Amino acid sequence: MSFEPKIVGFLCNWCSYAGADLAGVSRLKCVPNVHIIRLMCSGGLSPFLILKALEAGADGVLICGCSPGDCHYREGNYKAIRRMALLKRILGQFGIEQERVQLHWVCASCGDEFVDVVNKMTAEIKELGPLRAGAISN
Amino acid sequence: MEVLSPYKEATDVIFEAGGEPLKLCYQCGLCTGICPWNLVRSFLVRRIMHEAQLGATDFGSEDTWTCVTCRACVQRCPRGVEIIDVMRAIRRAVASLGIGTVPDALRISAKNITGVGNPLGEAPEKRNDWARDLKAKDFASGTEILYFPCCVPSYDPDVKTVASSTATILNKLKIDYGLIGTEAKCCGESVRKAGYEDTFQSLAQNNISLFSSNDVKTVVVSSPHCYHTFKNEYPELGGKFKVMHITQYLASLIAKGKLKFSKEINKKVIYSDPCYLGRHNDVYDEPRLILQGIPGLELIEFPDAREDGLCCGGGGGRIWMDTPKGERFSDIRVEQAAKKGADVIALACPYCFLNYRDSLLSTGKAESMQVKDIAELVAEAI
Amino acid sequence: MEEPRIGVYVCHCGTNIAGTVDVEEVAKYAETLPNVIVSRHYPYTCSDPGQELIKKDIKELGVNRVVVASCSPRLHERTFQTVLREAGLNPYLFQMANIREHCSWLHEASPELTEKAKRMVRAAVNRVSQHVPLEIRGLPIFPATLIVGGGISGMQAALEIANSNHMVYIIEREPSIGGHMAQFDKTFPTLDCAACILTPKMTEVARHPFIRVLTYSEVVGISGFVGNFRVKIRRKPRYVDEGKCIGCLICQEKCPWTALSEFNAGTSERKAIYTPFAQAVPNIPVIDTEHCVYFLKGKCRACEKFCDAKAIRFEQSELIFELDVGNIIIATGFDTFDAFSIPQYGYGRYPNVFTSLEFERLCSPTGPTEGHIMLADGRPPDSVAIIHCVGSRDKNYHEYCSRVCCMHALKYSHLIKEKTNAEVYQMYIDMRCFGKGYEEFYDRIQNEGVNFIRGKVAKVTDEPITEEEKNKLIVLVEDTLLGTMLRVPVDMVILCVALEPRKDANEVARLFHLGRSADGFFLERHPKLDPAATMSEGILIAGCCQGPKDIPDSVAHASAAAARALAMIARGKIEVPAVTASIDEDQCSGCKICNLLCPFDAISFDDEAKISRINEVLCQGCGVCAAACPSGAITHNYFTADEITAEIEGVLA
Repeated sequence: MSFEPKIVGFLCNWCSYAGADLAGVSRLKCVPNVHIIRLMCSGGLSPFLILKALEAGADGVLICGCSPGDCHYREGNYKAIRRMALLKRILGQFGIEQERVQLHWVCASCGDEFVDVVNKMTAEIKELGPLRAGAISN
Repeated sequence: MEVLSPYKEATDVIFEAGGEPLKLCYQCGLCTGICPWNLVRSFLVRRIMHEAQLGATDFGSEDTWTCVTCRACVQRCPRGVEIIDVMRAIRRAVASLGIGTVPDALRISAKNITGVGNPLGEAPEKRNDWARDLKAKDFASGTEILYFPCCVPSYDPDVKTVASSTATILNKLKIDYGLIGTEAKCCGESVRKAGYEDTFQSLAQNNISLFSSNDVKTVVVSSPHCYHTFKNEYPELGGKFKVMHITQYLASLIAKGKLKFSKEINKKVIYSDPCYLGRHNDVYDEPRLILQGIPGLELIEFPDAREDGLCCGGGGGRIWMDTPKGERFSDIRVEQAAKKGADVIALACPYCFLNYRDSLLSTGKAESMQVKDIAELVAEAI
Repeated sequence: MEEPRIGVYVCHCGTNIAGTVDVEEVAKYAETLPNVIVSRHYPYTCSDPGQELIKKDIKELGVNRVVVASCSPRLHERTFQTVLREAGLNPYLFQMANIREHCSWLHEASPELTEKAKRMVRAAVNRVSQHVPLEIRGLPIFPATLIVGGGISGMQAALEIANSNHMVYIIEREPSIGGHMAQFDKTFPTLDCAACILTPKMTEVARHPFIRVLTYSEVVGISGFVGNFRVKIRRKPRYVDEGKCIGCLICQEKCPWTALSEFNAGTSERKAIYTPFAQAVPNIPVIDTEHCVYFLKGKCRACEKFCDAKAIRFEQSELIFELDVGNIIIATGFDTFDAFSIPQYGYGRYPNVFTSLEFERLCSPTGPTEGHIMLADGRPPDSVAIIHCVGSRDKNYHEYCSRVCCMHALKYSHLIKEKTNAEVYQMYIDMRCFGKGYEEFYDRIQNEGVNFIRGKVAKVTDEPITEEEKNKLIVLVEDTLLGTMLRVPVDMVILCVALEPRKDANEVARLFHLGRSADGFFLERHPKLDPAATMSEGILIAGCCQGPKDIPDSVAHASAAAARALAMIARGKIEVPAVTASIDEDQCSGCKICNLLCPFDAISFDDEAKISRINEVLCQGCGVCAAACPSGAITHNYFTADEITAEIEGVLA
C-alpha cells in the first residue's frame, strides 16, 4: 500500500476553519489526510504543539490563518509568521524538512484555496515520505 | 436579420493564446474613447473585447491588426484589463492557426526576421556597418556596457544617425562599451505583438544565449521596444541583465557630472514620449532632464504629453504596415508641434523617428522643422 | 475532579453524513473509547428530540461530558452548549467533531471516511476529558452612549437611544450637526427637501433631555473596555460664550474677513466668524482663527464691538474632559472623491465642471445662487452632461460602487429639467436603481425626456472641431449601445464623485481599535449578519463610515447600531466570555513578553507583585500570550496545551 501521510491542520476559528467549512459546504473535494484542529487564532499556536504533533506521529503540520490584514485579533497572523521563521530554524536542527511544516493564509471565503493547499501539501509530504520515527524526541 | 450564437470554442482559442484578461471587461467603452484611432477613424476596442468574450471574433477583420499597443486604454481601464494581451492573443490565433490573413507587409517583415534576423531584410553581416568609421570596439567579456542600437538605426540610412550619435557620445566620454557581433538579431518585441510568438521565442533565445556567452552585464539600448522586451520579457526566458534606455543612461551620466554640455542649441524643442518608454515603462523624466540640461534649448510640451502622449502609430507591428494618409498619428503630432512653434521634434525611439520623418515630408514641413533623436541633440551640444 | 463519564452522539444529518460515513460503526467504536459510558447515533441530533436524548442521558446516566459528532461547531456549538447548561452541566464540558463539513462533505466517498470519522470522534473524546468547567461572569456597565459624528446616522442612533431615557453624547467636530445631508437640496426618490426633513430632527436632537450635543469637539483618547469606556474629549474653543450668545449673528454680518465656505463646498465665501449655514444647530458662531485678522495680526475685534450680548471671548482656550460610557457608535460618515485626481475630466481647469456636492449647493435655495442652476458666468445652461462613476467602479481609484450616484444623477436631471429646461445627458455604465421606489423614479426621469448614453466618459475637452462645439465643453464617450464614438457638446458637466472613507479614517480606526476592509471603510463584524457591530466589543458603526449608503440605508443602519447598544443597556451588565487567558501567578516570571503581544492591551504589569495580570474583560481569547509565554504560566482556557495535545494524540493514535 502506498504511503498515506498523516497531517495535523491547525486552523484559526475566524478565517481558515470557516474556509474549510465553506469547502465542505460547497462540496469541494480534497484528500482526507489532513486532520483539522480548531484554534482561535494562528497566533495562538505554540511551537511546542507543532513539535508535539510531529512527535506524536504526524508527517506534517499545516497551519492556516487569516490573510495578512484580516486577522480578527488584528495581527495574530503576523505573530504566526514570525514564530514560523524561528520554528523553521529549529526544524532544520532536527534535520526535518521545511516542507513538513507549512503556514498558509485561507480566508473565510477561500474554500477552493483550502482544498488546493491540502492537496498540494499532502502530495509534497507523500514525496518526502514518512517522518522518521523519533525525529523530535531523540 | 443576422443571428449570432455564442461560440465559446473561439473564446477558448483566444484564452489559450493569452487573452484571458478579457473576462474582466464590463463593456464601459472607456478604451474606445481613449484609443487614438478614434481621432482619425472608427475603431471600437470595446466591441472587439465583447466579440472575443462571446466567441464572435471576426479573425479575418482588418481590425485584428489595427491596435498600436500604445497602452493608453490599459492605463485607464477601470477593470484593469490588459487589452494589449487580448489583441496579441487574437493575432496569435490568426498567425499560428491560420484562421485569418496576416497583412502582406507584416508577413514580409516577419519573414525577413525569421530569415535574416532583421525586419528590413538586410544582410546580417552588415549589422554593424554604421559604426565602421567610429572606432567602436567589439564587445568582449569584461566590457562594461553593450550598446544595442535596434535594427532600424543599424540599417536605415536616415536613422543611422541615432546609432552614430550615441557612439560619438560614448567615445567622447571614454565609456568602456562595445557592439555585439553580427549574429545579434531583432529583439522581437514587435513581432511578438503582431502574434508571431514562435518567432519571438527563437529570437529571444538567440539573443539571450549570445549575451550570456559574452558575459553581458549591462545593455544600453536606443529603442524603447528593445528596452521593454529586454527588461520585462527576456527575464522570464532566462535573460537576466541590466537594461538601460540611452536617455536613462545619459541622465545618470549628467547626474554624476560625467556628461557636461559645452555648446548651445538655441532652438524650441518639443519632446514626444514614446509609448514603450512612457506608458509601458514609466520613464518620463530622464529625457526631459537631458533636454533641459542643454544650454539655450527651450523645451516645450505637446498638449497631451507624458501619460496622455499620442502614439506615433508605429507600435504593435504597425511600423511594418501601411497606414493611409489621413490616419497617421504622427501627422497630427507634426501639426501640433508646428502650432506650438517648435523647431525640432525630439524623439527617443527609432520607430517614432521613421514615422515623424515621413510625416514631416508628407505634410510639407521638412523645411521648417526637424526631427532629432535626443542622442543627436546631445552629440551636438557636447 | 470527578471521573469523566462521556456521552457520544453521532449524527446522521439525514444522509449528509450517514450517506458516506457508517455512523452506526462510528458510534459502536466510540463505546470502546476510555470513559465513554454511552454512545448513540441519531438522525438529527440538533432537533428537539435529539437534544432531549442528550439531556436525558445527563440526568439519568450521569453523563458529565458530551461529544457530538455532527456538523461545524461554528453552526451548532452554542446549541449544544445550551443543552448542557439546561441539563445542569457546565457548557464548556463539551466538544464537537465536525464529521460533516470536514469529512463527509469534503472528501470523495470511500470506506476511509468512516475511519476518519472515528479518528475525529476519538480526538474529541480525548479532548473532552481534559475540559474543565469555566465561569461566565457578569459585570455592570455605564448606561450612557457616545456617538461620534452628528450626521443623519449619528442623530438617528442618538434619538433611538435617548427616547428610551438613556443618556447620549454626540461628538461632532464641525461647528454644527447635520453632516452631509444638510448640504443636499432634494432627496431621491421622493424629492422632499433635505432641510425640511432634517432640520426638525436636528432641533429634536438639540432639545432632547437625554442628548447632549458637543459640537466643535473631537475624541482624543479612549480607555477601558466594553460597557466601561472612558473617553477623552477635546472641545475646540469657539471664542464665543455659548451661554451668552443669543444667535443674532450680527458678528457674522459685521466681520470684514472671509474664507471659502466649507458648507457650500467652496462655491461661495463665508466670514471668519460664522455659522456654517442658517439652520445650524447650535446656532452659535465660531471664529476661524486661520482667517480672523485679530488672531493673525492682532487687530480688528469688530465682532466684539457689535456683540450686544458681550459673548465674544478671544481668550477662550480648548477644554479637555472625560465621559464614562458603555457603548460607542462611530458614525463619522464619508468624504467625497477628489475630482482633481482625474485630470481628463477637466475639474478645476474648466469652471463649468462641477462635482455632485457643488451641484447640490447650486440647486439649494440656501446655496450660493439661491437655487438657480447657472454657469460660472451666470447664464443658465442649455445642456448638461452628468458623468457617473467618477472614482467609483474603477480599479485605478475605488473598485466599489458608491451606490448613491445613479440615483442622485437622476435627481439632478429632474432638477435641471425643472429649473432650466436644458438638455440633459447621463453618461452611465450601468443604471443601478435598486431601492424602494427607485426604478419607478428612473422611469419618471426617462419620461421627462433625459438622454441616457451608456459608456464611460473618456475625456472632457474645450477644443472644438465644429462650429456648434465652440464655447462648449465637449464630452467624449463611446455610446456602447450604438457602437459609435460620440462628441457631446454641453455647457455644464457634473461629476458624480465617489463616496470614500474619511481622510483620517486610519487614525479613527486606530483610536477605536477598528478594522478596515479592503476599500478603506470600517469593517463590520459580519458583512451580512452583523453589519453594525465591530470586532471591538461595545464599539458599533453606523452609516457611511462602514460603506457608501443612501439616506434610508444609513438611517436603518443607525437604528440597528442603536438597538445593539440598547440591548446591552437593557441587560445592564455584560457577560465576560469564558474563553480567555489566565495567568498562574506562581509561575509568572514577570518577563513582560505577553504585555506587548496582547492586541487588546488586556495584559498589564503589576509593579508591586512583579508579575503580569490579565484583565479578563478586555481579553478576547486569541491565545497569543499563552503561545508566547516562556514560563508556561499562561493558560488559554478551552484551548490549553493539554487539551490540544489530547486532541492531537487522538487524531494520530
